[in-house]
Amino acid sequence: MSRRKIVDSASSDNTYSLIASRSRIFLFNVLPILVFSFLYFSTYYNVLNEPASIKLYRLLRIYYVLLSGFILGASGSILQSVLRNPLVDHYVIGIGSGALFAVYMTVYFYTYHPLLIVLAGIIGGLTALGLTILIAEKLSGSDIAYVLSGIGVATLFSGASSFILFFIIVKYPYASLMTTGSFSIVDSSKLVYVHIPLLIILITYYTLAKKLNTVIFGDDFAKQLGVDPGKTRLLGVLVAGVSSSIIVSLFGIIGFLGLITPHIARFLLKTSDNRLTIPFSGTIGMVILALADTVSRSITTIVSSEIPAGSIISLIGAPFFLLLLISRFTRWSK
Amino acid sequence: MIEIRNLTVIYKPGDIEALKNVNTEIPLNAVVCIIGPNASGKTTLLKSIAGLIEYKGEVFVNGVNTRKMSRELRRILAYVSILDSTSGYLGARVIDLLITSRYPLSNSFYDSKRDVEEVLEVARETGVVNLLNRSLRELSAGELQRIVLAAALVRKPKILLLDEPDSHLDVKWKTWLSRYLKELSKTYSIILSTHDTVFASNTCEYFLVLKNGELLFNGWKHELYKNKSIIEKAYGVEYEIIEVNSSRVIIPVYTTQNREDK
Repeated sequence: MSRRKIVDSASSDNTYSLIASRSRIFLFNVLPILVFSFLYFSTYYNVLNEPASIKLYRLLRIYYVLLSGFILGASGSILQSVLRNPLVDHYVIGIGSGALFAVYMTVYFYTYHPLLIVLAGIIGGLTALGLTILIAEKLSGSDIAYVLSGIGVATLFSGASSFILFFIIVKYPYASLMTTGSFSIVDSSKLVYVHIPLLIILITYYTLAKKLNTVIFGDDFAKQLGVDPGKTRLLGVLVAGVSSSIIVSLFGIIGFLGLITPHIARFLLKTSDNRLTIPFSGTIGMVILALADTVSRSITTIVSSEIPAGSIISLIGAPFFLLLLISRFTRWSK
Repeated sequence: MIEIRNLTVIYKPGDIEALKNVNTEIPLNAVVCIIGPNASGKTTLLKSIAGLIEYKGEVFVNGVNTRKMSRELRRILAYVSILDSTSGYLGARVIDLLITSRYPLSNSFYDSKRDVEEVLEVARETGVVNLLNRSLRELSAGELQRIVLAAALVRKPKILLLDEPDSHLDVKWKTWLSRYLKELSKTYSIILSTHDTVFASNTCEYFLVLKNGELLFNGWKHELYKNKSIIEKAYGVEYEIIEVNSSRVIIPVYTTQNREDK
C-alpha cells in the first residue's frame, strides 16, 4: 500500500472501524454468540425420537460448554491485560491447579457437594494466584517471571492433587476427569453456580474494560488518566481468578484456552481495546470449547472412551504457548 | 508559576536520595529546560511535579498544592516519557494508545465520532497519521517519542512535562521537535529534560541545572551563558559558546580532556 493510501485510509472510515462503538461491539460479539449458539444447539439437540432424559442431558451439556468457554475466554483476556502479560491464563499461572487441589481436599474430608466445591475452588484458586504473584514480583515481576513462578506453583498443587486423587477415587469416581476438564458428567445441580462467573464478568465489564486499557501502557500512564492502577489490578485479578476457579471446580482444568483466545481476538480485531477483546475472546473461547467437546463426544468415542475436551484443547494450546515463548525471545527486545 | 519548597525524594530500595532539598521557582511562560548528567534527578523532578511519586516538601502549581492532586489539576499536567515496553503492549496499536489517552475527556463507555475526530486532528498536527495502524511494538524509538507526545496532547493538558523528548530522534526530527515545541509553547507551558545542550539552547529560554539531586542553577538563558562553568561543573566537560545564525549555542568541547580526569 502506498503511503498516500495509508494516510487517506487512516483519516477516513477505516479508523472508525477500529473504534469501540456500540454497533461494533454488537456486530463482533453479541451477534456471533447468538448465531453460533443457535447453530450448535440445532445440530446437536434436534435429534428426534429420543427419551426426554437424553434430551435434557444434551441440552445441559451444550449449555455448560458454551458458558464455560465464554467465561474462560473472557477471563483470559482480563488476566493478560491486568498482568500486562501475553503468556498467562488460569492454567499457566496456577489458578487451575490450586482450585483443583482445594476441590480434591474438600471431597477427601467432606463430600462432593457443588456449593462446597465452588467455595473451596475459589479459595484454592486465589491462594495459588496470590502465591504466584508474590513469587513473581520478588523475582523482577517480568512476564517470564510470572510464567516460571506460575508453573512452579501449578506443579506443586497438581503434584499434591494427583496424590490425593488415589484416596478420593472411591468416594468420587469422576475426580480424575477433572484434571483435564470434561463435560461428560452433566449434573443439573451445577446450573446455578455456572452463572455466578458470567454475572461477575458482565457486571465488572463496564467498569473494568476502559481501566484495563490504561493499565496496558504502564502505571504512570494510567495514573495520569485518573485510574488507580493498584485498585484496577486487584479488581481484575479477583474477577479473572474467581471466575476461572469456579469453572475449574465444576468441570476441571481446561488449560491454554484462556491463553489462546485473547491472542486470536486481538489478531482478528486488530486492536488491544478490552471493550472489544474481553467479549470477543469469550466468543472465541465458546466456539473452540464447543468444537473440542464435539470431537470429544463423537470422534474420540469411536476409538476409545470419551477423551476430555480439555486434553483436546491442550493439543493445540501447548504448541501455541511454546510458539509465543519463542517469539517472545526472538522478536521483542528483552 | 511552579513553586518548589524543600523537595526531597528518597527511593525506597537502597534509600537513594534522588533529590536533596530543592527550592526553586519555575516560570510557565517560557520553554524550560532541565539539564544534568544521568542520575542527577531530572526525571524525579518532573515526576514529582506531575504527582506521580511520593516526596517530602511542597510543590505548588499556580498556587495549588499538588499533594491534593485534584481531578482538575491532574487534567492540566501531562508527564510524557517513552512507555515501559516490557509487555510488548499486548499488541496495542498507535490508535489504541491515542484513543485511550482521550478517556478523561469522554463521558460515555463507547467512543464517539467526536473523540475520533479530535484524535485524528492531533495525529495530523504531530505528523503521526501514517503510523496510526501500526503496532506499538514495531515502532522505532524515535517514532515512539512522537507518539507519546501526541498521546499527551490528545487529552488537552496545559503544562507539558517532557522527559527527554529528543532522545532517540535523528537530526531531522530533533530540529522539527525544537520548532514544534516553540510553536506549542504559545498554547502550552513546557518543561523538558534533556542532555543535548545544542537542542536546549535552540529550544529553551529558562534553564535548571541539576547534579546529584542538587540544583546548581536556575535562571534565564543569558544568565547561564554568562557563567558556563555551571554546565562544565555539572557534566565535568568543557563547554564553548558559539554563534550560529545570530543565535548563541552552547556545545561541549571534545578535544580537551574531561575535567575530572585532569
